[in-house]
Amino acid sequence: MTDPAAVLDAGDPPVEHRSRLRTTVETVLRNRLAVAGLIMLTVLVVVALFAPLIAPYGINEPDVANRLSGPSLDHVFGTDNIGRDVFSRVVIASRVSLQVGAISVGIAVALGVPIGLISGYYGGRIDSVLMRLMDILLSIPAIVLAIAILAALGPNIFNAMVAIGIVYTPIFARITRGSVLSLRDAVFVRAARSIGATDTRIIATHILPNVIAPIIVQTSLSLAFAILAEAALSFLGLGVQPPDPAWGRMLSEGRGFFQQAPWMALFPGLAILFTVMSFNLVGDGLRDALDPQQRSLIESRGVAE
Amino acid sequence: MNNAVLSVRDLQITFGTRDGRASVVNGVSYDLAAGETLAIVGESGSGKSVSCMALMQLLATPPARVEGEAIFDGRNLLTLDEAGIRKVRGNQIAMIFQDPMTSLNPVRTIGHQLIEPIELHMGLKGKAARERAADLLDAVGIPSAADRLDDYPHQFSGGMRQRVCIAMGISCEPDILIADEATTALDVTTQAKIIDEIHALQSRLGMALVWITHDLGVVAGIADRVIVLYGGRIMEEAAVNELFEGRRHPYTRGLLESLPIPGRERPDKLNAIAGLPPDPLSMPPACPFAPRCPHAVERCSTERPELRHPVPGHAVACHFDPEELYD
Amino acid sequence: MTGFIVRRFGQMLLALLGVSVIVFALIHLVPGDPVRIALGTRYDPDIHAALVERAGLDRPIPIQYASWLGSALVGDLGVSFRSGQPVTGMVLERLPATLTLAGAALLVAVGVGIPLGVVSAVRSGSKLDYTATAASQVGVSVPDFWAGIMYILLFSLILGWLPPSGYVSPLEDFWGWLSHLILPALSVGLVSASIVFRFVRSAVLEALNQDYTRTARAKGLSRKRVLWDHVLPNAWIPIVTIIGLQLGFMLGGVVVVEILFAWPGIGRLAFVAVGDRDYTVLQGTVLYIAFMFLIINLFVDILYGWLDPRIRYD
Repeated sequence: MTDPAAVLDAGDPPVEHRSRLRTTVETVLRNRLAVAGLIMLTVLVVVALFAPLIAPYGINEPDVANRLSGPSLDHVFGTDNIGRDVFSRVVIASRVSLQVGAISVGIAVALGVPIGLISGYYGGRIDSVLMRLMDILLSIPAIVLAIAILAALGPNIFNAMVAIGIVYTPIFARITRGSVLSLRDAVFVRAARSIGATDTRIIATHILPNVIAPIIVQTSLSLAFAILAEAALSFLGLGVQPPDPAWGRMLSEGRGFFQQAPWMALFPGLAILFTVMSFNLVGDGLRDALDPQQRSLIESRGVAE
Repeated sequence: MNNAVLSVRDLQITFGTRDGRASVVNGVSYDLAAGETLAIVGESGSGKSVSCMALMQLLATPPARVEGEAIFDGRNLLTLDEAGIRKVRGNQIAMIFQDPMTSLNPVRTIGHQLIEPIELHMGLKGKAARERAADLLDAVGIPSAADRLDDYPHQFSGGMRQRVCIAMGISCEPDILIADEATTALDVTTQAKIIDEIHALQSRLGMALVWITHDLGVVAGIADRVIVLYGGRIMEEAAVNELFEGRRHPYTRGLLESLPIPGRERPDKLNAIAGLPPDPLSMPPACPFAPRCPHAVERCSTERPELRHPVPGHAVACHFDPEELYD
Repeated sequence: MTGFIVRRFGQMLLALLGVSVIVFALIHLVPGDPVRIALGTRYDPDIHAALVERAGLDRPIPIQYASWLGSALVGDLGVSFRSGQPVTGMVLERLPATLTLAGAALLVAVGVGIPLGVVSAVRSGSKLDYTATAASQVGVSVPDFWAGIMYILLFSLILGWLPPSGYVSPLEDFWGWLSHLILPALSVGLVSASIVFRFVRSAVLEALNQDYTRTARAKGLSRKRVLWDHVLPNAWIPIVTIIGLQLGFMLGGVVVVEILFAWPGIGRLAFVAVGDRDYTVLQGTVLYIAFMFLIINLFVDILYGWLDPRIRYD
């Protein structure tokens, strides 16, 4: 009673990596918002890379005579309360933000992914303990946890990166574990095991390549949140310390001079918005292309499994 | 056919996709007589489900574009307005679907879901509606029917859930019941039972039944007439015995010969039809089966074969007469 | 269902225990002598010794932890190094302010996010859908404190309609309280609204594409009936979850907004405690915030279980 053609359709063959990369790229490029995000991201990276060349002034060149002056040809974003060029400071601060973002998320991935791999693959006691630990970390709202960690370690840029990294570790652990769980009993893994492959080898060569997709999506989304977190921390004075410029701190400095110089707070904020949005758009585009089932960071935080 | 309860003429359905326009149904025409059981057979992608969903305007009409006619009760179902088609759905024409696990709303009791069409189409309310719902469940073989009205779908087994769906389908005594792979998701024993039950209900209610399936075994047991679809077109149409004995179209022949026959000596390999179904985005211009047909000649790829009638009541879409192909 | 509740409650208690360990460990990781730092310029060896003894800081760490935990269970979170006030009292004093801010923000989030999300899903692909989705992309990317700054700029400094910061008790001056509440609530609320919108839209879209929706349509039900009786009741379940999560998150996550608007809430208390090196306060506050978050999560889980008949009638 079998449908002849159905026999041919039964079971998906493992996807060839090259063609999957191609189709992913094609799908992302078709998504106009994602393309916009990519363009924004490129602009951002270029600005950050060439910041010292792009910025017409330094980060600490007071020009008291021209303090608190609005946007002009000389000072595209205006000057702050001691006459520093806001544009230059915003541009150079982009480096700090991207660095902090990249390193914090790097830490989160470096910690979270192995935890997820081990937890998902071995299951049992290890899984329970590790996931309990992750749940505990998730019980404290991100900012509060970051503040507490910085209170313990001392507020500076390095500790801020560690703090943000720890805060976002559980989400990577959860996502990796989820992918591993669904793959652990897949046919090709059982086949590898049956021919005697060691656990490490199975994890490295079979499981890891297939969990990469959700990790990539989450990385992009987490970069967005990490930059927001860094901005909040510097706003509170807990992150990047003077004289290094940071968007969050520029916002805090701008607060005092609202009425006279609103541009001091406006432009750094727009820079944050621009950056975060570009990562979000790219992350969403990647998710739609790679794994439409996956939920974003906020949505998966703490949802019962 | 003059006493046809449904007349489908030249049904064409295309879908707009990112990669172009997909032709899923390419000119299907048939008549359905009152009380008749028509089986529509085809593989996945042959257009069998889509063609029936279009009759009740259940396809989302951006992406889909539906052309042709489907005359029921003197009107064209395909061009009826919203209010008009809603009066037909569940009332004069009902459809039940493949997966009973997902076809029922998990957060409403089955009583609630059964009573909905009863209240809407038959005007019964309150106790009268409830009684009718209980009677329906009874009719489809669910024990303690009245008590189970307040249960939720997850409290029923797969087979029982499908019975609930059937009850919903027949609740307003439709003229036509369309069953889209209604037993495919069930185990073999339950399948057999449900098929018998539907058959019994059909005779009692005088309903026409359209049975969509890819399973020829089921067809043999239940159908009066069979339509074989391939690439969105009718390849062969005949009374059931005629089809099985005559097997005139090369595709039908291929299907029937690929069935392993119990009792016979085990063959070395299955007689599958070589090749893959056509891609709706690039449908072969003439005969859709030409790329896979062992008897194809050049004409098959350039000229579309019309339906010919080797005997009355039996249609075959092929350039050749069966006598020329087989002996 | 009862088994479900009991299990979840047990998990919550375990998590809370874990949080207490982490919070305690973090605080005690701090190098240096907390009492000395807290005293700052008012340092005096006798006061120092007395405080150390009273705070029990001369005992081994595990015992300190056990003692702190024990007191915490009966509601005593110690006293502030700076002011000597009982921490529990300080937290409870500021709790209403945070709760009202979170509540107001949630109202904005739900009031804007849910209707827009439903309409966008139902009219997927329309201009409204595109506009709302694009706006939500911006909303999700905006730092809530910068939004707050911009609102202050616009509504306080330029238009002069609302006060730029501060707090007034509703019992003293209801309208004053309300006018002080609006901007901070909007800052947090609109960001949250964007998150809620996206989630609602995807939940409703998913429900619209389910088989049971097709069955409902095939029965001849009107579009309105299909939406209200079949689509939304299913979509509602995950939506409730996200709303609960947002609330839980807000209770601690509004720190920065509280500081920006000088809103006397718990988040602000925690931050000030960091600056003051007032570790008992910090410990107690973070524990309390985590506790509220966990309770809300528990409540959301239970609500989820109750709403879904598959779990309720198990």
